[in-house]
Amino acid sequence: MAHVVNPDLVQDLKAFGARDIEACFNCGTCTAICPLSKDGVVFPRRIIRYVQTGMEHRLLCSLEPWLCYYCGECSETCPRNAQPGELMMAARRYLTAAYDWTGLGRRLYLDVRVELGAILGLAALVVALFVLLGGPMTTELTPEGGVQLNTFAPAHVIELLDWAVGGVLAVLLLSNVWRMHRWIVGGETGLKVPLGAYARGLSTLLIHFFTQKQWLGCTPGLTRITTTRWFKHFCIFAGYVTMFVLIVMFLRWFQTDAVHPVWHPQRWVGYMATGGLLYGVSNALIGRWRRREELHKHSHPSDWIFLVLLWLTTVTGILVHIFRIHGLPHATYITYVIHLAVLVPMLVIEVPFSKWAHLAYRPVAIYLQQVVQQARAAQAANPSPQPQPA
Amino acid sequence: MDDPRPSPSPVDVVVVGGGIAGLEAALDLADQDYAVLLVERESSIGGKMIALSKTFPTLDCSSCITTPKMSAAFHHPRIRILTSTELERVEARAGSRRVHLRRKPTYVDNGLCIGCRLCEYACPVEFPDPFEEGLGAQRAIAVPFSNALPQKAVLDARHCIACGACVKACPTDAIRFDQQEERFTVEAGAVILATGFGLNALGLKPEYHASQSLNIISPMQLERLLAPHGPYGRVLRPSDGKVPGSVAFVLCAGSRDLSLGVPYCSRICCMYSIKEAMLLSGALPVADLTVYYMDIRAFGKGHEQFYQNAKAMGINFVKGKVARIDPVDHDDLSLRVELEEEGGRVEERRHDLVVLAQGAIPVLEPATALGVPAAPDGFLNQPDTVRITCTDIEGVFAAGAALGPKDIVDSILEAGAAAMEAARFLAARAPASSAAGKSTASPPSVHA
Repeated sequence: MAHVVNPDLVQDLKAFGARDIEACFNCGTCTAICPLSKDGVVFPRRIIRYVQTGMEHRLLCSLEPWLCYYCGECSETCPRNAQPGELMMAARRYLTAAYDWTGLGRRLYLDVRVELGAILGLAALVVALFVLLGGPMTTELTPEGGVQLNTFAPAHVIELLDWAVGGVLAVLLLSNVWRMHRWIVGGETGLKVPLGAYARGLSTLLIHFFTQKQWLGCTPGLTRITTTRWFKHFCIFAGYVTMFVLIVMFLRWFQTDAVHPVWHPQRWVGYMATGGLLYGVSNALIGRWRRREELHKHSHPSDWIFLVLLWLTTVTGILVHIFRIHGLPHATYITYVIHLAVLVPMLVIEVPFSKWAHLAYRPVAIYLQQVVQQARAAQAANPSPQPQPA
Repeated sequence: MDDPRPSPSPVDVVVVGGGIAGLEAALDLADQDYAVLLVERESSIGGKMIALSKTFPTLDCSSCITTPKMSAAFHHPRIRILTSTELERVEARAGSRRVHLRRKPTYVDNGLCIGCRLCEYACPVEFPDPFEEGLGAQRAIAVPFSNALPQKAVLDARHCIACGACVKACPTDAIRFDQQEERFTVEAGAVILATGFGLNALGLKPEYHASQSLNIISPMQLERLLAPHGPYGRVLRPSDGKVPGSVAFVLCAGSRDLSLGVPYCSRICCMYSIKEAMLLSGALPVADLTVYYMDIRAFGKGHEQFYQNAKAMGINFVKGKVARIDPVDHDDLSLRVELEEEGGRVEERRHDLVVLAQGAIPVLEPATALGVPAAPDGFLNQPDTVRITCTDIEGVFAAGAALGPKDIVDSILEAGAAAMEAARFLAARAPASSAAGKSTASPPSVHA
């Protein structure tokens, strides 16, 4: 197969954050030090090589960037300070933008003004919608002393909007996942994947989606640090998914005017989820601010924007709850509008186009790795009778 | 000749460093009738070369080249040698260079010691022998090694228990427990710095776990194991005395690595590792020998052929830098490496003995003594790109690894160049009456 070389690929990846990658002299330390690099899946040097030699198609067909959890050992031991860990991070950004067929992801990643503009525009749209279509801002309280939030923003209307936005985003994200799948499975010429392989891998997909347990294979010598990092990330993941389910599927049960007692699941489930989010996101923000650990040393604007939006969403959500149960109507309404003015841009920008998308791409990559391996095994067991095309 | 009493009489040239470059420079100048003072920090001249087994790429016996040079310098009528003496400062004033030196106590009167070693046999204290790189044992008072020059006993105050056994044994009453450090200054026409290089610590790279295994050794340790008069008389691995069946050489273990602060190439490791592997294949004919390398830099005369010969001899060369070394059971070691020429797969490989190619690093004393900044790599600065043995100070020249890592051949070449520069410098400044600036007035006092 002929290869098309893109001589600008290095510059492209540098724009996505891999600023030092040209320093690499391919000694292989990064690959050999990486605890996750084994059994035929070896990185980061292979990815560096694709980038340095302009093998754009090979890079697009690679799932290795999604298998790296950035423990940072490669960057710490790199003899050239080429930051291979940051290259893997940049490759994840690059792939996220490349999977996105609309091309918006690339513009958002490469120009922070576009990203901020999009966020502010969407926030303004949300505020305008509330100003134009919002319900009456009644100061009358419920018998328990809570604010009548559902008069201002009725849960069934918000729910419909939820589903409309969610549907569009799901279509975008799933179509990107489909492109990712086509590249990864199609990248190997002549590989035929039996349908059974797809079915057999589904449990892997779900397990890795919910646990991110691949991460725990990082840094065998430093299990405690790895487990702590994984736990912080899991707090963000679990809090996020819980809130997502509550808001998308159970909004009528979640956004009530009634003030339930503390032992009511509506309250403690919400508290646990937001508590986890606040803990995890604050830790990530502090880590990126301090830049002590390798994985926090280099922050792309998109990393900051994602974390700040997530943190603001969490805090405003908590404030809405506090103001509501304490009977502060105007504070509740204004905070609610701000909450949505942060939440909507975060979802619209991040889910299909930016950092959030790794929630889908990472487990799918592990799933596809297994699928491809099974397909290879099947092909090796029953070699096709036709001669392979040259 | 070794001088027991440092005297402040002026000399033509002070050569600092008694390794192969310093010996060569001193001999080149003394043979032209210049009066030379050779200063050596250790208790014997010979430098690193006297400890090597053989040299590359000719596989000549190293001590068979060095010992005659040492002897020639030691017995030269125009060379005075001060061992256990360190350079403190070089003061360059108009027309003269004042060299401030410090002689460390050896607790032995070299004028009386006859090198009979009776003190060494009487001494009850043993400690890891520095000359054998810690592999053999040394007494607290001893002649440094068998072919050391001067053949005088040296007492190591860090290990001596002051039992007095040596005093009783000494037939000439040469032991001086009250010897003090001495500082003195020598006037010299020119100075040549041949202070050589250091090696960075074996345990520098934490991923190699060198402190956790005795079987991760330095190249100098392997030189001693290979030397015919080495500590064990044969190649055995240090932890259990087993004859190693599989030996790994890890190149660039201390250089070309920004994470260790040594970005430059040490220039000698590729060749000495190939040489040591060749010697091992003679010493251990059935052993598997593997050299892990990033690229083999065989740039000198005959080096590439030497490398090709090593490959033809069956030594394995594996492209890929070793990322981790982990001690495993039976005192063996497991190396994790990406096999770049086998599709880039990662493999754990087990070896009995691992040799880490340490980086050659600068010794900082010469630049400090001159009071000038070192070059960015830490070695002595070379302000003139053509006359490379000149330093920032007029009349002070440098040669060998003090200017940057280099092999023996290049060091000797530079020593000759530095001697030539020094002679030219002295001749240009000599008054018309004295022939070419040689100090005819004061033939070295050591003639007696």
